Amino acid sequence: MTHAIDIRSVTRSYGSTRALDDASFSVPEGSICGLLGRNGAGKTTVMSIIAGQDRPSSGEAQVLGHTPFEHAPTLTRISYVRDNQRYPDDYRLHHVLRIAPAFAPFWDPDVAAELVDGFRIPARTAIKKFSRGQLSSVAIVLGLASRAPVTLFDEPYLGLDVSSRALFYRVLLQDLAEHPRTVLLSTHLIEESESLFDRVVILDRGKVVVDADRDDARDLAVTISGIDDAVDLVATGRRVFQTHAIGGLKSVTVAGSVDADLRERADRAGVKVAPASLQDLVAAYGAGDPTTADHQVGARS
Amino acid sequence: MSSIAPTVKLHLNKREITFLVPLYITLMVTVLSVLIALIFWRSGSQPGSDGWVIGSRNNPGIAYSLPGFLVYLGVQSIATTFPFALTLGATRRAFTAGTLAWAAMVSAYLAIVLAILTVLEIATNHWFTGFYIFDIYILGTGNIPRLLAIVFLGSLTSLTLGGVFAAAWVRFGTNGPRTLGIALGLVIAVGALLIVPAWPDLQAAFQLWWLAVTAVVVIAGSSIASWAFLRSATVR
Repeated sequence: MTHAIDIRSVTRSYGSTRALDDASFSVPEGSICGLLGRNGAGKTTVMSIIAGQDRPSSGEAQVLGHTPFEHAPTLTRISYVRDNQRYPDDYRLHHVLRIAPAFAPFWDPDVAAELVDGFRIPARTAIKKFSRGQLSSVAIVLGLASRAPVTLFDEPYLGLDVSSRALFYRVLLQDLAEHPRTVLLSTHLIEESESLFDRVVILDRGKVVVDADRDDARDLAVTISGIDDAVDLVATGRRVFQTHAIGGLKSVTVAGSVDADLRERADRAGVKVAPASLQDLVAAYGAGDPTTADHQVGARS
Repeated sequence: MSSIAPTVKLHLNKREITFLVPLYITLMVTVLSVLIALIFWRSGSQPGSDGWVIGSRNNPGIAYSLPGFLVYLGVQSIATTFPFALTLGATRRAFTAGTLAWAAMVSAYLAIVLAILTVLEIATNHWFTGFYIFDIYILGTGNIPRLLAIVFLGSLTSLTLGGVFAAAWVRFGTNGPRTLGIALGLVIAVGALLIVPAWPDLQAAFQLWWLAVTAVVVIAGSSIASWAFLRSATVR
């Protein structure tokens, strides 16, 4: 399998802050990979490094077989618009649409026109006066119409209404079907985007905590819910990522998959078990350091 | 594929500010110069007289107005354009080279525009009324090759100086231009201290090409420093 993106032991520090900490993951060519994690997990930093806009403090990032930083042939094959992208003074939409094709050899003006029309991006207003949703729309136009072999979307839905998000999904899937390329997309709207991904990478505090196919990622955690003592009993010995308790009821997200042994113990104890959703998994990893269920059970008994 | 040519296009993308605003400023200087000349005329000075010609040719309006705008243009050519250029896929090296090429184009454009206006002014015997707007000392007193060199190098110096301050800001935040300004101030002050005793001799021996060499040194230094700052700048 050829990898479009290969991140090897990348660390990026800003002063005493470690934005990325020995992160490693790969994205196969043609994949749509979700880059997930809490705010400050390192998603934008890793995207900046992949896009050649930043360099790792240590480790190596390769895109399409090359280190992207200052490598012109690779940079023309990457599209990355930051979530807080700055535009030159007094830029309007037509400035963006006029200059982008000069840098993007695969630019498709029809896709750009369809998106501009669908998002209803104002033509006469200066971009610096755009709303958050309108800025996201411009970023999506640049990302999709550039048809770059490696396309990075950093929180593309920020401020977008439901109709605009639906338009984005439709054009993304339609255009990828006709012109396959590798997409890395960071988002907090996990449930809504989950079906797009064939692969997910979850970052927490600069570290890669999950790098797996989407379906395999669902087998990484289980949600056990029911009466609290029974839940604690079934969860015994497993790493607990997250706990929710209301009255005498409890729901815990623990490491592992729903195997026959777990199902049997759950049936005996009268609790429900189900694979954790991707959103649960991301929330679980972001909740803090996992504990072992033994302590909780011990404390109660 | 080099991104130098696309970077030049990126800068030229804002056509009004690149090509028209300098003309608006020149027009404003012209109107103000004519108004001032009219005031002198009404107060008794006679167009064409020696005093009128000498006074008019000392008009520094164009030197006060255009460089300020050009420094701003140089600042924005990097401060807000660099992050977008990176997003579009420019390398830092190509961006610096493309920005210098664009600055040279703008400088050449201004030199040609002012040369044409000067030729017109001289051909019309100073706009048929004896008004001196472009045939002035600071623009070479009607010497067109000298005017071309003065405007080209002066404009390029302003643009690249603005650029290096912006690059220092992109690299180091507000500390960058502040430190650069202090450092430049110190260099100029120390230089002045060193040459003050020899000032009368230097003044006597002064040659115009000294200014040209100084401008070339400033342009080269600013461009190299911009590249050094941008090379390691992180856009966040």
